[in-house]
Amino acid sequence: MQHVQSNNNTKFLYTFLPALPVILGAAAIVWQHGAGLYGVIAGVVLVFCGVGGGLFLWSRHVTELARINAYWAEDENRKMEAVVTYTNELERLLLTITPILSQHVMASREHTEQEVISLTNRFADMVTELQQIVSRADDALNGQQHYHLDNVIGTSRALLQPILESLKQIHQVEHQATVELHKLSPHIEGLSSSVIDVHKLVGQLNALAADGAEAEDLRQLADESAQTDQQLAVKVNDIVTAVNAALATADSSILVDDSTLYQAEDNVKQTLAHLTEALAHYRNDVEVLRNNAEQVRSEINNVLVAFQFQDRVSQILTQVENNLLNLQETIEKIQQQGSERNGTMLQVDEAVEHIEENYKSVSSRPNAEQDNSDDLTFF
Amino acid sequence: MAKTILIVDDSASMRQVVGIALKGAGYEVIEACDGKDALSKLTGVKIHLIVSDINMPVMDGITFVKEVKQLDNYKFTPIIMLTTEMEDDKKRAAKEAGAKAWVTKPFQPPILLAAIAKLVLP
Repeated sequence: MQHVQSNNNTKFLYTFLPALPVILGAAAIVWQHGAGLYGVIAGVVLVFCGVGGGLFLWSRHVTELARINAYWAEDENRKMEAVVTYTNELERLLLTITPILSQHVMASREHTEQEVISLTNRFADMVTELQQIVSRADDALNGQQHYHLDNVIGTSRALLQPILESLKQIHQVEHQATVELHKLSPHIEGLSSSVIDVHKLVGQLNALAADGAEAEDLRQLADESAQTDQQLAVKVNDIVTAVNAALATADSSILVDDSTLYQAEDNVKQTLAHLTEALAHYRNDVEVLRNNAEQVRSEINNVLVAFQFQDRVSQILTQVENNLLNLQETIEKIQQQGSERNGTMLQVDEAVEHIEENYKSVSSRPNAEQDNSDDLTFF
Repeated sequence: MAKTILIVDDSASMRQVVGIALKGAGYEVIEACDGKDALSKLTGVKIHLIVSDINMPVMDGITFVKEVKQLDNYKFTPIIMLTTEMEDDKKRAAKEAGAKAWVTKPFQPPILLAAIAKLVLP
């Protein structure tokens, strides 16, 4: 604000304007009554009174102006001091908080970056594990490994079938042995008949020995024959008893073995049928789990793609950091100018335009949800 | 023997994502955080392909490609630009610098792997 000032013209006007009517009055008196001594004296007195009054008014005016100017100057200084203080404080505030904000932004960016890296690693591990699950499921369903489901049934059948065949062979052997035992039966009857014949011959020999006392040797032979006959009879009787018992046991065993073999074969078939059914359910479950694992793996892969948003976040935060740094440097440079600084040094419009351009460039880039049809270009 | 790919990106998370995709496909990976860092790793080791970002501190991707083309051992190494940029001017600049392909972020790993499979040196 410019102070109100007086000049010589103002002083002349203040001095002579109040005196002018008095001078004119004095001139009128001189003109009416002639230029007498008293008239001239009265006129001069009036002129001096007019000039004196003008000077008094001028003095009052100058004093008032000085007071007003002093007031304005004080007010202006007070306001200027307030503005300077405000500006200094604003600069101090900006210079203080800008590095802090910059640190916060940088810390946020790094923290987010680290967390995304950690999550990416964990999700990548999950994808690997799911891939292994899918691979194993594929092997179980379609592969050639020993745990392939169809191989399990085939292997079980292959292991059980020889056992059944062995049982059948054993049964056939038993059957043949029984047949052979049956074939022995007529011979055993013949053996019994021969024992009877031997017994008769021993009786006849004894009779001859009793009739002919001259033949001591013959008696002795008859006695021995009788003993042999008794022993033979006992042994043949034992053999017949044993063979009959063996035949009875074999017949019974054949009946039991037939039933057991039939039951075993039936059990094996039922077991294989149950196993087949269980493996069919297991196959279905494996297929469901495999498909679910594949679906989860695909979802996690999509999440891994979505994690690339961190790249955009990093770019935006880097822009924020750079802009804060630029703001800090600009204010420091302006501050160094001291009392020479002025508002145009900030170049606010250019700075805002630059910042907006940077953010527009970053924010206009595609995101994960957008069409990716032109993602790849070969040169 | 696995082929080696150099990944150049200032974002650690992006290097991570690209690395996972490439390692999953059987490639070996070397990482660099900007063009200058990448040049310091081109010291005679066999590199079959380079995947580079464009906007990086210290040395940007276009400058890096130009520098690589000046290196006798690597001037024929194919370079794929992997970037969020979409401007035709930048694509043209990358092409003129010597890049062989341009993949836009965020990328689908199969697309990047297809580009690599087509360009990677034998």
